[in-house]
Amino acid sequence: MRRLVSLALALALLLGMGLGTAAWSAEYKIGVAVPLTGLFGKDGELIRDAYTFWAETVNAQGGMGAAGKKAQVKLIFRDDMSDPQTSAKLVEQLITGEHVDLLLGGFGSGPIMAASAASERSGYPMISGAASSNKLFERKFKYYFSTLGKATDEVKGAVDVLFTQNPKPQSVAIIGANTPFTADACQGFKNFAEAAGVKVVHFELFPPTLQDYNTMLEKAKAANPDVLLVGSHLGVALRVMKAMKEIKFAPKAVAFSYGPTVPAFVQGMGKDAEYVFAASEWTPNLPYTGPLFGSAKDFNQAYFKRFNRYPDYVEAATVAGALAQQTVVEQLGLTPPIKAEDRVKIMEGLHKLDLNTFYGRVKFDPEGANEAHPPVAVQVQDGKLVNVYPAEAAEAKPRYPMPAWEQR
Amino acid sequence: MLILQALLNGILLGGVYATFSAGFSLIFGVMGVVNIAHGEMIMLGAFVTFYLFHLLGLDPFLSLPLSFGLMFLLGYLLQRLVINRVIGAPPIMSYILTFGLHLVIANTALLAWTADPRTITTAYSGASLSLGPLHLPVVQGATFLFCLAIIYGLHFLLNRTQVGRAIQATAQDREMARLMGINVGRIYALTFGLGAGVTALAGSLVAAFRYVEVGMGLPYTIIAFCVVVLGGMGYIPGALIGGLVLGVVGSLATAVFTPGWSMAITFFLLYLMLLFRPAGITGKGIVE
Repeated sequence: MRRLVSLALALALLLGMGLGTAAWSAEYKIGVAVPLTGLFGKDGELIRDAYTFWAETVNAQGGMGAAGKKAQVKLIFRDDMSDPQTSAKLVEQLITGEHVDLLLGGFGSGPIMAASAASERSGYPMISGAASSNKLFERKFKYYFSTLGKATDEVKGAVDVLFTQNPKPQSVAIIGANTPFTADACQGFKNFAEAAGVKVVHFELFPPTLQDYNTMLEKAKAANPDVLLVGSHLGVALRVMKAMKEIKFAPKAVAFSYGPTVPAFVQGMGKDAEYVFAASEWTPNLPYTGPLFGSAKDFNQAYFKRFNRYPDYVEAATVAGALAQQTVVEQLGLTPPIKAEDRVKIMEGLHKLDLNTFYGRVKFDPEGANEAHPPVAVQVQDGKLVNVYPAEAAEAKPRYPMPAWEQR
Repeated sequence: MLILQALLNGILLGGVYATFSAGFSLIFGVMGVVNIAHGEMIMLGAFVTFYLFHLLGLDPFLSLPLSFGLMFLLGYLLQRLVINRVIGAPPIMSYILTFGLHLVIANTALLAWTADPRTITTAYSGASLSLGPLHLPVVQGATFLFCLAIIYGLHFLLNRTQVGRAIQATAQDREMARLMGINVGRIYALTFGLGAGVTALAGSLVAAFRYVEVGMGLPYTIIAFCVVVLGGMGYIPGALIGGLVLGVVGSLATAVFTPGWSMAITFFLLYLMLLFRPAGITGKGIVE
């Protein structure tokens, strides 16, 4: 009898512990390997802020899950130091060591390329909003998704806005740094220009360590293009603008794939940044609206309230990725802990997803890129970045053509 | 016309190359130390200028004395406390030590300032004079004149002053210099300070027309190495010759072929020089 009692007690204890454990684990553990130091340290902090903002918003509304099944979200960040191998290792560790329910993507095509290979192997969906090298999608992974388009498609907004101007540009020169992301952008420029029947009169890639930008740009100038298109990061964009002024090269317009949307561009270039076009994926004035955050404008304001700064489009895309995964989890009525077979369903759900959000429409193509996202372009006008494309939602008309340097 | 413009651009570039390579050459010539953290001196000089401009509104050219002073001090202390331990040791020791310094300085800067590129735009930024069909950018032109002045100043200092002669004597024969009453430790520290200071000047000058970022150092170290091999290791006017040759060759390669060729040809020249003329174009470099 005594034995029976002690057995019953032990059983009760175990059950209690079991229940207790169940109660403690009634939260979604979501792992993120993100660069917080190293080359992308600053960018990675934006990603951390974006996910934090999403999680806080979700938790304030009771958590993630279908009505009545909501559970809190807990984010686990690991610093991958901007290193691809580390990123992959951390993802494996999050899966096997921390037993996370879900993952989200970090920053940069390099680290995410490695990290998503690790998550693919383990059958964990990974959505990122901060990597767009075409190579990510050429792998035809089933579990990798991106709320951004492919790098070649991302520049479409900058090209479209120029080719709808009057008079329409007849020729373009394309230059860019010979790194994966910027070379993809140049290829995208070329594809869209040719598709629009515009002549590409000069196409040149240069090494990122190029010393003499003036000579390189003299060649583009000599081709006398109506428009200069540049595949760039921030540093390249800065040097191209400086060199253009020095050699008095003023085509009708200049557009960059990336760089001018970073606040340091306008801050650093001052008045010389005027008239510059840049491709973008999102601006807060766009007429998008969706669950959790309301409209693009609401999101922008709430983000400012939380961090005392406005979000970059990469942050909006990152939050949209978390929101997409949340939507599928809720559609499936899942509760934590999420099992391996559930993750297969999430992956399938993501492939079928067609969601309108504050960031715009999210619909993944079979390779995982966001195919539904409309191209966006911005221009520097009076020291501010304003949305100039798509025309129906634009804050301002594009300023075109750009005047000669002596006349500004 | 493109060729003429490329020639002009190359000469302007060469002046900058010469300035940041002169310090590299000096330090090697006197101490036999190949300073792999050389580019970080450029980066730090550029940041001094950037912050003086952004916090105090100081013109980049006016920040030169402070940039020199601060980096001279840092260089002096670095030599006294760190580099001095490997003087006279096999060269590999100085490679490892200065490579370590490169990592420490670059990563500390990364923590402090992040990887964002920054830039300085003054009222005269981007202005250029028209020489017929050619463009002479004002800032780069002024930088070139400063570069000539710095190289000449350094050459003058080494050949016409007491300290300079002491530095040269130490470079030629350390033991003999010591016997002649020269404080060799102090000369080494002065030389390293001088090298770092001059290099920082180059950093301050490029900050005015390029951008400033923590990762900018290493490419400069590589170029400095090529320039100094071309001009002759340890021979200061050689830095000017090597710089001009590399600048012009790089710009012409960009104009005639593609920008990718400019670095390829630079390294090919380096290879040829090391193979056939290790003492540099002038033949006055040190060969060990």
